[in-house]
Amino acid sequence: MTESVTETGIEIKNLCFGYTKERLFNNLDLSLRGGSIYGLLGKNGAGKTSLLKLICGLRIPDSGACSVLGWEPRNRPASLLEDIYFLPEEFYIPPISGELYRQIYAPFYPRFSGEAFRDYLGEFDLPEKKRLSEMSYGQKKKFLLAFGLATRCRLVLLDEPTNGLDIPSKSQFRKLLAGAGQEERIILISTHQVRDMENLIDPIIILDEGQIIFQQPMYEVTRCLQVEIQMEQPSGDGVLYSEKALGGYVVVRRNESGEETQLDLETLFNTVIANRDRIGQLFAARSSTGGAA
Amino acid sequence: MNTFSIKRLALLLRRDFSIGYKSVLIAMAAVGGFVILVSVLSTLGRELGPIHEQMYVPLLFLGGYIVTSLIFKELHLNGQSVFYLTLPGSSLEKYLSKLLVTTVGYAFGSLFFYTAVSSAVEGINRLIFGYGHPFFNPFERSTMIFIAVYLVTQAVFLVGSVYFRKLAFIKTNLYLWLFGIVVAILVGVIGWLIFRDYAVDRHIELEPYFQRLGDTGQLQGVLEPMAEKFWRVAKVLFWGVMAPVCWVVSYLRLRETEV
Repeated sequence: MTESVTETGIEIKNLCFGYTKERLFNNLDLSLRGGSIYGLLGKNGAGKTSLLKLICGLRIPDSGACSVLGWEPRNRPASLLEDIYFLPEEFYIPPISGELYRQIYAPFYPRFSGEAFRDYLGEFDLPEKKRLSEMSYGQKKKFLLAFGLATRCRLVLLDEPTNGLDIPSKSQFRKLLAGAGQEERIILISTHQVRDMENLIDPIIILDEGQIIFQQPMYEVTRCLQVEIQMEQPSGDGVLYSEKALGGYVVVRRNESGEETQLDLETLFNTVIANRDRIGQLFAARSSTGGAA
Repeated sequence: MNTFSIKRLALLLRRDFSIGYKSVLIAMAAVGGFVILVSVLSTLGRELGPIHEQMYVPLLFLGGYIVTSLIFKELHLNGQSVFYLTLPGSSLEKYLSKLLVTTVGYAFGSLFFYTAVSSAVEGINRLIFGYGHPFFNPFERSTMIFIAVYLVTQAVFLVGSVYFRKLAFIKTNLYLWLFGIVVAILVGVIGWLIFRDYAVDRHIELEPYFQRLGDTGQLQGVLEPMAEKFWRVAKVLFWGVMAPVCWVVSYLRLRETEV
């Protein structure tokens, strides 16, 4: 018997939430399952961080249902918190040594692996015994990432994780995260730095105007959309999105040839934002015909 | 629903101690230095009264209220609040860890510390000068009563610590003053309404009133038992109701805190 999605994943139904009378989310639905590194994209103020906070119980929804790993996060139950690691964009790290940090905080996470932690620190080239307050912003972030992955929590929420990381650290981060995905683990990354996340996040979730307007795996994206570079300015109904680029125009069309092309995340995001209704219809039609559209 | 675990409570207490022990040591050094200075100087000046009882009381109350007001500081700081609230532990465990530190932990910790410091300094005084102040007795009945009063009244500052983002100690005091003023005005207005017939040149002259009550037997028969009952209710409210109400209020506030 397969476990229900509510016990292993995130199930949000008709969620309404706002900081003022004007709602940020209006009947938002979202369903996430284990085994994927989800990328949460959206414009500034779309509510990416708020969504992460709602998922880990730091914010309470006005109405609607939110189930995370089978728990209601609004009560912040200890059993749920033992299974969630949230690394916010503006994080706090106490002024103690890395070793003491591990001694104090690791026992809170029942599945914490000291061995994995040491390996991750090694990957990031970080000394465990150094005082955390003496580390740079990027080093602190890498330390917390290493700790978070070593907790072996089933849900890892990362808000702009590559902000402040240097170029080598970004590739180390990608490598580390790609290896940290487990069958039952959900990694949800909210980011603007889509280029850092290329070939890492999949499926892609796009949040806009209080709704999830797009949630698709990359293989569906490449089957449905085709990207090409052409010299002339594109025109016609078939063009979903185009932008001027070096040497011509990047054009996104519906994939009718069946040939798969590599659509980068930035172009995908711009295409979805510019054509949310048409993209929605295109993917809906494909899923209703079992992928034959 | 796994809302309470002794292990997690112990981990939270250990975390608070590991992070905050340096601040505690600095505070202890400052207080210890002050006690030594005052004790030695007053011994030199041959002022040999029971100073330790007098110095312990402000340490207990003022120090305890300040510590209590700061105990939920991380709940109101960006970054730290997210870190604290997502730390694996139920709201009850997080609350109890802070409550234990500021009530039993502070009261008996400060008592033990003060006893040790004052005993040491009085021993030194006797060695150097041949005389000193009376030793501080932590088992004195008055000390125990002070501790009990502290345990009850600190609950108000715990509420302030959870509610106020900044300057919790000052704001709690201001609210207490405000509350006191409102109560005084209410009592004044009610008193005026009851006794206004006895007003003489902006003063209320109550002697004829009590004399009349005494003459009619009402003072002994009605008012004295009523005052006794009032006093009993006030005692129950103070010792049995005030702290639990404050604890519940601050716990609920912690549980509902959003960042």
